Amino acid sequence: MSNGLTLAIPSKGRLEEQSREIFAAAGLVIERASNSRSYFGTAARLPDLSIRFMPAGDIARELIRGGIDLGVTGQDLIEESSEDSEVSVLTVRSLGFGQADVVIAVPDPWIDVTQIVDLADVAADFRSRHGRWLRVATKYIDLTRRHFAQHGIIEYRVVESNGATEAAPATGSADFIVDITSSGSTLTANGLRVLEDGVIMKSEAKLFVSRTAEWTPMRKAQLEALMSVLNWVPPGITTRL
Amino acid sequence: MINTFERRTALAHLVEAEGVARVNPPMLLEAGQYFELAGEEFGRSLLMSLANDGIEYCLRPEFTVPIVAQYVAQGLAGSPVAYGYMGPVFRQGTEGPVEYVQAGVELLGQLDPEQALDEVLTFARRALGAYRITTPKVRLGGVELFEAVLAHAEMPDVWRPRIRARFGHPEAMTRLLDRLAESYADKPEAAAEPIDKAELTEYVADRMIAAGFNPAEGRHPEEVAERYYEKQALAAAHVPLPTIDLLRLYLSIEGRASTALDEIEALASVYKFDLSAPLVALRHHNATLKALAPQSTVTFDASFSPRLEYYTGIVFEMLGQSGAVLATGGQYDRLLQRLGATVPVTAAGCAVWVERLEQEMQS
Repeated sequence: MSNGLTLAIPSKGRLEEQSREIFAAAGLVIERASNSRSYFGTAARLPDLSIRFMPAGDIARELIRGGIDLGVTGQDLIEESSEDSEVSVLTVRSLGFGQADVVIAVPDPWIDVTQIVDLADVAADFRSRHGRWLRVATKYIDLTRRHFAQHGIIEYRVVESNGATEAAPATGSADFIVDITSSGSTLTANGLRVLEDGVIMKSEAKLFVSRTAEWTPMRKAQLEALMSVLNWVPPGITTRL
Repeated sequence: MINTFERRTALAHLVEAEGVARVNPPMLLEAGQYFELAGEEFGRSLLMSLANDGIEYCLRPEFTVPIVAQYVAQGLAGSPVAYGYMGPVFRQGTEGPVEYVQAGVELLGQLDPEQALDEVLTFARRALGAYRITTPKVRLGGVELFEAVLAHAEMPDVWRPRIRARFGHPEAMTRLLDRLAESYADKPEAAAEPIDKAELTEYVADRMIAAGFNPAEGRHPEEVAERYYEKQALAAAHVPLPTIDLLRLYLSIEGRASTALDEIEALASVYKFDLSAPLVALRHHNATLKALAPQSTVTFDASFSPRLEYYTGIVFEMLGQSGAVLATGGQYDRLLQRLGATVPVTAAGCAVWVERLEQEMQS
């Protein structure tokens, strides 16, 4: 490994395309090595920069842990990976894509549940009625716990769900969900409805710098150089690390 | 420099005092019981481990639950027993896993529950004394007192359990009381077109089936329809504004225990509430604390309670000069039945945080 900076880009789908487009538009053309299945990339303009293609969730975790120096990922995943994200990552800028909301959605036929207070009420006596806790399926375990704690919802269990969360209420593995949605159409198609006050957070794709990575003077200089190529933020970002 | 070993030995003597059975529950516990009792909020702080068979375990996060569960499982529910413990507990901290040492006592099935609490307070006082902390700040809270106020306050019954559920959670309580006050200010809505209940149930069931949900799983159509009605009834069942003011006033009472309790007594006489039993108990324990530590300040905070609904009578914490919570405890009768006891059993106990005692002593 060289001692250069590592930039992580989401490894698939629209997020990958849009990330590469926006870097290319800023003058940094990223090539994915040999073929689209490789997890390494290069940028001809900055030969010392290592580029890695990773799942967005891993990028968030590695940014917080300091395993990579910079990365593109969703605000939602950063918040989920760290309760106090400001301590471990610095936001360079929003990238203008990947907008989506993390929301609480319940089965639409629950005509009595329109707000979080209703959910708190249902949760409170669910167990005495059904002999089990009310269950919420989500991949946002920490976000859900934090948000529900703030709203005084205590009597529920989280069911971890990685993929097809919106189907959990219909399959019976959970009663409602916390999930990310951009248009809400997947939720509607699955008979779910977002609560009136059910937006837990608004998310979008951002470029983050890890504060926990090792920032030697040399590496700080490399970061400034990269930022000046991109020209997205004024010089001096390293003073905020 | 303090001699940690010497102090810890003194503390160990306290948890092995005459008549106290020292117990050492397993370090590896099934996590399910904690989620059952305290839900996801406490669950966040557990150090979890998943067994091959899919059962979730956690490292012991505290002692009370395994000790009480064991007592119930042994068929002892109702017999008077005093347990003592001291050992490591594990929590998920903000900066990773943390191991602490806790020591404490649990007095179960005692004939005189107030004397049991006195003994617990004495233990806490002595545990602090072992670290030469003689002037802790003591904070008392009254769970039974709040429940008595709520029982007397004029309001539709449907609201009492909902307000009780927010006790110990100041933000949620404030939000609820604000909402109730607002809805009271609203003009009552014109009654909606009454819908036949059977019809509404069928409507919900149809929508469930159409949307691909199994009406027999989770919330049933009758349940949804019932709560829909109940919600309308709740919206119509206003908590009178004077009651909301009274609750806000009550919850704001905080100060030197004797003064605060006088204030509450005055409030009770204005509203003609009979709060004598919980007030007498609080005054009694305030006197005990004064006798145990004449120099320490004892405050009563009407809104203070742990979030857990199994606390019942009086709860307390002892704080050091730095504000660190050194000891917490109280009466928790409801836990016994939550853990399977078939008869009511009184319970009182407390835990002290050993590292915090050591730190407090050094500073």
